[in-house]
Amino acid sequence: MASELQRPDSMPCHNRQVNSTSSPSPEHLLAEDRVLDHAEENNAAMAKLTLLPGHAHSSVLSERDSPACCSTNLHSENHSDSSDSGNYDAPVGGDSLLGDCELSRQIGAQLKLLPMNDQIRELQTIIRDKTASRGDFMFSADRLIRLVVEEGLNQLPYKECMVTTPTGHKYEGVKFEKGNCGVSIMRSGEAMEQGLRDCCRSIRIGKILIQSDEETQRAKVYYAKFPPDIHRRKVLLMYPILSTGNTVIEAVKVLIEHGVQPSVIILLSLFSTPHGAKSIIQEFPEITILTTEVHPVAPTHFGQKYFGTD
Amino acid sequence: MAAPPASMSAAPSPLQSAVAPDVPGRQAEQNETACEDRSNAGTLDRLLPPVGTGRSPRKRTTSQCKSEPPLLRTSKRTIYTAGRPPWYNEHGTQSKEAFAIGLGGGSASGKTTVARMIIEALDVPWVVLLSMDSFYKVLTQQQQEQAACNNFNFDHPDAFDFDLIISTLKKLKQGRSVQVPIYDFTTHSRKKDWKTLYGANVIIFEGIMAFADKTLLELLDMKIFVDTDSDIRLVRRLRRDISERGRDIEGVIKQYNKFVKPAFDQYIQPTMRLADIVVPRGSGNTVAIDLIVQHVHSQLEERELSVRAALASAHQCHPLPQTLSVLKSTPQVRGMHTIIRDKETSRDEFIFYSKRLMRLLIEHALSFLPFQDCTVQTPQGQDYVGKCYAGKQITGVSILRAGETMEPALRAVCKDVRIGTILIQTNQLTGEPELHYLRLPKDISDDHVILMDCTVSTGAAAMMAVRVLLDHDVPEDKIFLLSLLMAEMGVHSVAYAFPRVRIITTAVDKRVNDLFRIIPGIGNFGDRYFGTDAVPDGSDDDEAATVG
Repeated sequence: MASELQRPDSMPCHNRQVNSTSSPSPEHLLAEDRVLDHAEENNAAMAKLTLLPGHAHSSVLSERDSPACCSTNLHSENHSDSSDSGNYDAPVGGDSLLGDCELSRQIGAQLKLLPMNDQIRELQTIIRDKTASRGDFMFSADRLIRLVVEEGLNQLPYKECMVTTPTGHKYEGVKFEKGNCGVSIMRSGEAMEQGLRDCCRSIRIGKILIQSDEETQRAKVYYAKFPPDIHRRKVLLMYPILSTGNTVIEAVKVLIEHGVQPSVIILLSLFSTPHGAKSIIQEFPEITILTTEVHPVAPTHFGQKYFGTD
Repeated sequence: MAAPPASMSAAPSPLQSAVAPDVPGRQAEQNETACEDRSNAGTLDRLLPPVGTGRSPRKRTTSQCKSEPPLLRTSKRTIYTAGRPPWYNEHGTQSKEAFAIGLGGGSASGKTTVARMIIEALDVPWVVLLSMDSFYKVLTQQQQEQAACNNFNFDHPDAFDFDLIISTLKKLKQGRSVQVPIYDFTTHSRKKDWKTLYGANVIIFEGIMAFADKTLLELLDMKIFVDTDSDIRLVRRLRRDISERGRDIEGVIKQYNKFVKPAFDQYIQPTMRLADIVVPRGSGNTVAIDLIVQHVHSQLEERELSVRAALASAHQCHPLPQTLSVLKSTPQVRGMHTIIRDKETSRDEFIFYSKRLMRLLIEHALSFLPFQDCTVQTPQGQDYVGKCYAGKQITGVSILRAGETMEPALRAVCKDVRIGTILIQTNQLTGEPELHYLRLPKDISDDHVILMDCTVSTGAAAMMAVRVLLDHDVPEDKIFLLSLLMAEMGVHSVAYAFPRVRIITTAVDKRVNDLFRIIPGIGNFGDRYFGTDAVPDGSDDDEAATVG
């Protein structure tokens, strides 16, 4: 049964090797250029914000206010609203689709679900539909990626601050801290880079190329490139489909080798199997996982359909 | 002698140019027609080629009508058309029906000329000229053959579709959008596309049988009979039919004696007694026309409404309505609000974070649409029970100019979405919103409509836009008003007038100041986004540096 789930995963890896080996360096150079172009401008703009001592409006905000509690903040946050996904049949094993609270109990509080609504269910439906056109598939995937990225950014630390509006009045707001970066696990994680870039124009993005061996199902690292100071940054790790979790586990190991602590890693994903999420959390209990659905069957055709390599 | 069908079909319709703009006519008539179109700024004509989204209304070419200077030019903006002031009250309902003027009279008596003189003398916008010639019935095959040899009576009441005339006029008086057929006088049938009329404060309905139906008569607030001498009318018809439509004098006189004159004696002349005003000598009677115009003006003054002041004093200290949904105040949302509210934020940053916030707002709004369960087959082989949109279609409508900035975000979320636009500007003298331009997709009445404006303070512009959508038969519960920032007053105004409109925003500020600005607010969104606020000296250098 486990091998049955794992088998489809090998095909995307095979395709990924051919496409990615031809282009990683130029892409990275382009990313580097963009970062350099925008970094200074972004710093200048951010410097204009007036930073005032924040005061708490509620105990929850107070808890999240302190940057020293960054790790605690990431772990303590829970979504109170439950997911609709618990209504569906579970064709594989005894697992069933679970709401947010049940997922926290069974898999761990590190797993967070995007707050669910029918709009998101529609996007998930189109992504899973074998008859969907590639155009509709990509359109829906991009929308879902954007929503996941937006929610992932909410996991980052911030401070209270006060600004003056054009009407001359004060507005109590928040300001996010610097020092983040994205890391995409190629190939399918590339699909999520634009969503991240659309929200954070000049964010730095690292890449890890991993391919699963078709025979042993063991994930092998082919390539890794990060910002030099990634050990001081919080990492948004992007990989859309968690099937076995093996690929992500290997990626996190690479990040650890470069000085990144699992507690500052936020894994952004679109779909996950219960097994995949459990494997990752067992390996790295301090990580945070954000996804839109936990379902025994993962849409493992994602990378092929998104990039048209099927 | 049998006349050619083309010229024959035109014979009983002296006002053809008014209803068939594609038929060649005199230059003068073309000019008048074009000017008429301009006075009906709110009229949507499906025959015109589509205008690109976001572009300003098409300018009239100088050959079509005389060039006029802009109505209003200030250091901040230029307005070229007189907008339509509110036609509804703070409850959102139209308080008085449009004023309907009926113009009757014999064929070639000069009804259209009198109508245009009235329109010109009124010098008010939003006047609709409705010609009875548009409402000829479609002829059967047998009737077609009769018409081909000058034997069909176009001058009989049975030739007209009075049911359609009455329902059209009723809707126009109620302020609703209507479709008017375009009659083809060569095929004696209606063209496929109908013309849309909307936004009438005054309706002028003219036709030889304008007073021939009792129900229709009751809809007319003022009935004017143009009484031109029959000899003059015959001479006009002879001149027109012979020189312009290539007919022979015997044919014209034959038709006149057989159909036109008996119709006048039997159906038209007796209705003169039903008129409120008889205008002998037609367009030459400037005294009569002046009196008519004065009366219409006094009627219009009774219809003027002040909406914004009423909005400002209403709904104090009420809880916010259930139809309001505010985007959850997540750290990212608060962070973006902090950036766009800060007066020190650069335009580049302002645009970027506004766009991000718009995207989240629209994603949130679409979650309120109706969905139904559906099952799809997955490439992995299992069935998957999901959701799909249960409505027919989504249409966006942006309130210019700030609302236009939300269009790309809507297109990024709704593939192939249709987008209409409404230009509403505040009259600086009265403080009231005015409707200047309207472009909506066809058949919008079945759609879910995403109505977009970036800020809503008193709700006056949003209310006008909702009223326009309702006038186009969009159900109230299918309208979603989206805004980045609203004041409580605006929320209450819209919800009070239109309790089933869903209101979706990312933040609600408590109040507005004396200038109706939201406090603490965001400033003038359009100015900040498009860079049309006052610029300090040396700003070009700043922008150049930014680009570098």
